Amino acid sequence: MTVTEPHPARPAPRFVRADGPDKVTGSGRYTADLSLTGVLAAKFRYADVSHARITRLDVSAARAMPGVMSVLTAADVPDVRFGPFVQDRTLFATDVVRFEGEIIAAVAATTAEIAQRAADAIVVEFEPLPVVTDLEASLATDAPLVHGDWADYGSAEVVVRDRNDASFSSITKGDAAAAMAGADVVVSSRYVADGCHAAPIEPRAVLAQWEGDKVTIWTSTQVPFDARAGVCETLKLPANRVRIIVPHLGGGFGGKCGFHYEAHIAALARAAKRPVRLVFSRREEFLAPDRRREGMIIDITTGMRTDGTIIARSGWIAIDNGAYTADAGFFSQLAAMHVAGPYRVPNVSIEAHLVYTNHQPSGSVRAPTAPQACWALESHTDELAKAVGLEPVAFRKLNAVDTGAEGPSGQTYDEIGLQQCIDAATANAGYGQELPDDEAIGVAIGWWPSFSVPSGAYVKIDGDGSGQIITGAQECGTGAVMTLRQLAADELGMAAEDFQLVYQDTSVAPYDMGATGSQTLFNNGRAVVNAAGQIAEQLRKLAADHLEASPDDIVLADGHASVAGTPTATVSIAELAGIASGGELLIGHGSGQPPGPPPLVGSTCVGDLGMAAFVAPQFSCHAVRVKLDRDTGVARVLAVSTAHDSGTIINELGALGQVEGGVLMGIGQALTEGTTYDDQGKQRNAAMLEYKLQTCADAPPINTHFVQIATPDAGPRGAKGLAEAPNVATAAAISNALAAIIGRPVRRLPMTAERVWETLNEEAAR
Amino acid sequence: MSESIDRDLTLSVNGIAYPVSVDTSRNLLSVIRTEIGLTGTKEGCDDCECGACMVLLDGQPVNSCSYLAAQAVGREITTIEGVMDGQELHPLQRNLLEEGGVQCGFCTPGMIMSATALLARTPSPSDEEIRIGLSGNLCRCTGYAKIIAAVRRTADES
Amino acid sequence: MSLLIATTLDDALAALAAGARPIAGGTDLVVGARHGKAPLPASLVAIDRIESLRTVGRSADGGLVIGAGVSHHTIETDSTIGAEWSALADASALVGSPATRHVGTLGGNVMNGSPAMDTGAPLVVFGAEAELASGSGSRRVDMATLWVGPGRTSAAADELCVAIHLPARAPRSGSAYLRLEYRRAMEIAVVGAAASVTLTADGAVDSVRVALTAVAATIVEVTGLTGGSVADVAAAAEAAAADQATPISDLRASDRYRRHCIGVMARRAVEAAARRASGETIAIPVNRAVGIGMAAGAAS
Ligand SMILES: Cc1cc2nc3c(=O)[nH]c(=O)nc-3n(C[C@H](O)[C@H](O)[C@H](O)COP(=O)(O)OP(=O)(O)OC[C@H]3O[C@@H](n4cnc5c(N)ncnc54)[C@H](O)[C@@H]3O)c2cc1C
Ligand code: FES
Ligand code: FES
Repeated sequence: MTVTEPHPARPAPRFVRADGPDKVTGSGRYTADLSLTGVLAAKFRYADVSHARITRLDVSAARAMPGVMSVLTAADVPDVRFGPFVQDRTLFATDVVRFEGEIIAAVAATTAEIAQRAADAIVVEFEPLPVVTDLEASLATDAPLVHGDWADYGSAEVVVRDRNDASFSSITKGDAAAAMAGADVVVSSRYVADGCHAAPIEPRAVLAQWEGDKVTIWTSTQVPFDARAGVCETLKLPANRVRIIVPHLGGGFGGKCGFHYEAHIAALARAAKRPVRLVFSRREEFLAPDRRREGMIIDITTGMRTDGTIIARSGWIAIDNGAYTADAGFFSQLAAMHVAGPYRVPNVSIEAHLVYTNHQPSGSVRAPTAPQACWALESHTDELAKAVGLEPVAFRKLNAVDTGAEGPSGQTYDEIGLQQCIDAATANAGYGQELPDDEAIGVAIGWWPSFSVPSGAYVKIDGDGSGQIITGAQECGTGAVMTLRQLAADELGMAAEDFQLVYQDTSVAPYDMGATGSQTLFNNGRAVVNAAGQIAEQLRKLAADHLEASPDDIVLADGHASVAGTPTATVSIAELAGIASGGELLIGHGSGQPPGPPPLVGSTCVGDLGMAAFVAPQFSCHAVRVKLDRDTGVARVLAVSTAHDSGTIINELGALGQVEGGVLMGIGQALTEGTTYDDQGKQRNAAMLEYKLQTCADAPPINTHFVQIATPDAGPRGAKGLAEAPNVATAAAISNALAAIIGRPVRRLPMTAERVWETLNEEAAR
Repeated sequence: MSESIDRDLTLSVNGIAYPVSVDTSRNLLSVIRTEIGLTGTKEGCDDCECGACMVLLDGQPVNSCSYLAAQAVGREITTIEGVMDGQELHPLQRNLLEEGGVQCGFCTPGMIMSATALLARTPSPSDEEIRIGLSGNLCRCTGYAKIIAAVRRTADES
Repeated sequence: MSLLIATTLDDALAALAAGARPIAGGTDLVVGARHGKAPLPASLVAIDRIESLRTVGRSADGGLVIGAGVSHHTIETDSTIGAEWSALADASALVGSPATRHVGTLGGNVMNGSPAMDTGAPLVVFGAEAELASGSGSRRVDMATLWVGPGRTSAAADELCVAIHLPARAPRSGSAYLRLEYRRAMEIAVVGAAASVTLTADGAVDSVRVALTAVAATIVEVTGLTGGSVADVAAAAEAAAADQATPISDLRASDRYRRHCIGVMARRAVEAAARRASGETIAIPVNRAVGIGMAAGAAS
């Protein structure tokens, strides 16, 4: 095979990841690839029942097995209840188990087989408790409690709780009831979404080693600082004795956010006095983590004038919290915002409940609550358009928010590009063209906030002129950390390739929230620009000395510092770095001030966790062409066209990758991915064979357009977040395509072939 | 000659013979990763569905998680570590990077093995042939579009 | 565990007689052990290097003999099978991924005895026989005799399936296999149907056989079908398949939906088989050419 010129149909290479060579050669190490001399294997003993009281727990047989080095239960770790919103979780089950994947004990042994046998040899006896699986039943006042002691738990102050309702939130604006009563047309809908999974291809792994009173933990987390905080809290350790290092991370999608098994493994390693490694099987990956995408029931009612103008919206939402609240506390408010939607709705009344059940806990999976809520709202929106005789895109253009408009929570938007997104996505999809039988293009719009939080980074230039970015940010595959090189390079007139990255090590770099909330480039970008800016200043001073000019006249470009207007007066940055290495080193550090929340006018929110005001809101429109096999209900996505307003796009290749991956995940959520439970609340399809991710054979062509508006009060250069937004509107667009073909919406998500077929039959039966 | 295998076996991986002593019930993936020490080949599932473990056996793709190591005796095994052309990236590796077909990278080694086998048997695949050829390799990050583009480009360039 | 890598049939049969279980590609056996369905047997004999099991050849009467060790990949790409026994190629082309098809064998598929096996229904409609060999000789059994229940065959423990015999095809014959799948690849048949059709000179159906996948304890043949116009036979096959199926409800589908879809698959299989019988070429696998399997990006 010969190497030839770049592919003629494509532009020349744009962005090659700094971690790319590691990843394509197999030399990059992921957590499960690491080992240490003397390492032990960890296995957990899970509850395997959904709700029961532990009446007997006996680990003596397990402890006595040859090769078993430590066995831990709740009795062996500090008695700490933790949780970012509601402190309802313990490392090990104490008295009651509340979902099948709850950990009762942990074992470390010389081999994985021995560890498993020992875990199996632990004797656990239960007294069954009533299993709560139904969201509406769980909210009833006489429902069995998932947490009998809920009232005694600590929680974040703003969280509004009541029995099985772990976090209630509402948005109220104007007078929805009165406006509804006066509306010309009112449409009510119920949509029900199943839960689903993040399903990164890398199952999680943790390796812990103690040296003296300090522990180093290599772990596949998206949020190393959060993981460290969890270890410190539960094992009662100061932050500076816990070092979290994340090797290459094989995807996360929120599934690896939060604090998971780091403390269990650290505790095992301390007890065994040996390094301990945990590697999850896929089945464990499905069952145990508290990061499942939440099932939801969504009731929406919208009142309109005959011309299609929306005047009121009310909604009721129940979200499956599962057995523990994890980071889902703010989901009720997020869901309420997504059921309100990016529309100009003057009168709003939406209530959302985060409901305890005996299911696996929910947690942040890529744009939590949004794909389901958007699916419901946008399916409902096509019903609205139909009810007033408007074409669905025209209906959206009429009611969607725009620059200067007021949204449903009383936020008035700066310059935004939603209307342009609708125009671009529909035009690129060929919306409106004549299509063959049983094909349609469905359209949906979505939105998502950017998350504004503190974040820090260092930048240094070494004596040979090569740069290092040392950042707390976490790369989970999105390329966000990789893109930091570009920002530093641009600031310093260098090339991205001049920089290497040291990242995801809590003892080396300053704080960052992690690969969550699409926040990396948004916040850490600011930090890196800041840090690089300090070095730029140093370089200008050095160059000014060297070139006998004023620092203000020094321009940094193409790896050189030059005097403006005098191109011959120039010195390479490498040479300046050499000079600096003999004196004041080239070091910068940055964090900068995160943009504050926009004001809200005229709305009141109960259970306000800061999600009613969207910082630097992102908008999107997806137009999806679907073909339905009427006889079987099998739907295929033929082509997808998207348009996104995520502000300035700094790295287009990386951004396209986010959109395309998000769309495919959305197709899976729409058609094939849904967790099914038995009547005891246990997952029935905790295997890849039965939980169906989209394959390459299913992947449609995806056309993407970015509406680029340099947004004020946003990330670097006016960038907003991007990683989650592409996951929001795809399922909704597919729903609308199906409804256009069938004549009515499929009201269950995923819209499996059988559910589509049932909907077709209901139609026939009418 | 028929050959009876108990514990001691020799596997040829990327042209190097590795004697190992393992229980014959062990799968090829775990022996490659543990005894042989090549960790580029990944494990992503328990039911032979994800393709992260893909290696080539005499040039044909096989899910090493679900293949007995002992059954690979006498065959040539190629893993991701054997794909590079000396110190140079294989065009497929380079194109995956330049087209943006790598995100978290966990599927990438398996994807490269499947794509290599595909291009060997179908040097000028249609897009549909690429889609089917890679259908045993799940990628959660990319949406596949850029992977397909990289394979397409590699075929076009050769 | 011990493993014998056999290079001759005699060695393999001797190992079976001594209590070993055969392993071909291992895509059922090893995968099943890995996710805990059934542990690996203590003694295995690998049969994938016995050359005589890996050949495809014409029989004297114009039929075909496919070695049990022939891979799905070979079947899906073999031009003779594709032209004359298209339904079998349709089925093999749908199995798993390219890797599964390279490693997995026809013999393994058949002897694994799953009611969801894809090659089973085609073999039934072709009137195929399995040749079973042991140290004491060999015999041929038809498929209905071979499969006795989910995962169970009538073969003795020391019998190896060495080949599948397919009778010659009558002129103006065509066949097709379709399955219901939710994704375009990496599926297990939710339901599937094969049809073999022989046309009269004027294009009506002279004779037809239809068999069904994943709607009973084994692959079952639809009874009571007779000739007639293609449309009538297809409609009759749809009704009869739905009527005779005894599907279960599970994770993948309800019995009601399976019963409906098996009719659709049977009808489409008859229609596609008739088109092929009339000389039309429909690409392998027919699933991706009609209805449910259409390509993403087919819109243009
Ligand atoms: C990812 C994946 C996807 C799959 N998709 C499909 C699919 O779409 N459709 C489908 O039908 N199957 C599918 N399968 C199942 C499997 O691949 C096929 O059944 C395959 O044909 C089995 O062949 P093998 O050679 O690998 O069998 P093995 O696993 O080697 O053997 C299977 C069984 O048959 C016995 N056996 C094998 N050969 C003989 C012989 N010659 N004589 C007697 N007994 C024998 C073995 O002892 C064992 O009990 C899939 C499997 C996987 C892992
Ligand atoms: S590890 Fe998933 S297919 Fe082998
Ligand atoms: S790049 Fe992450 S799974 Fe493919």
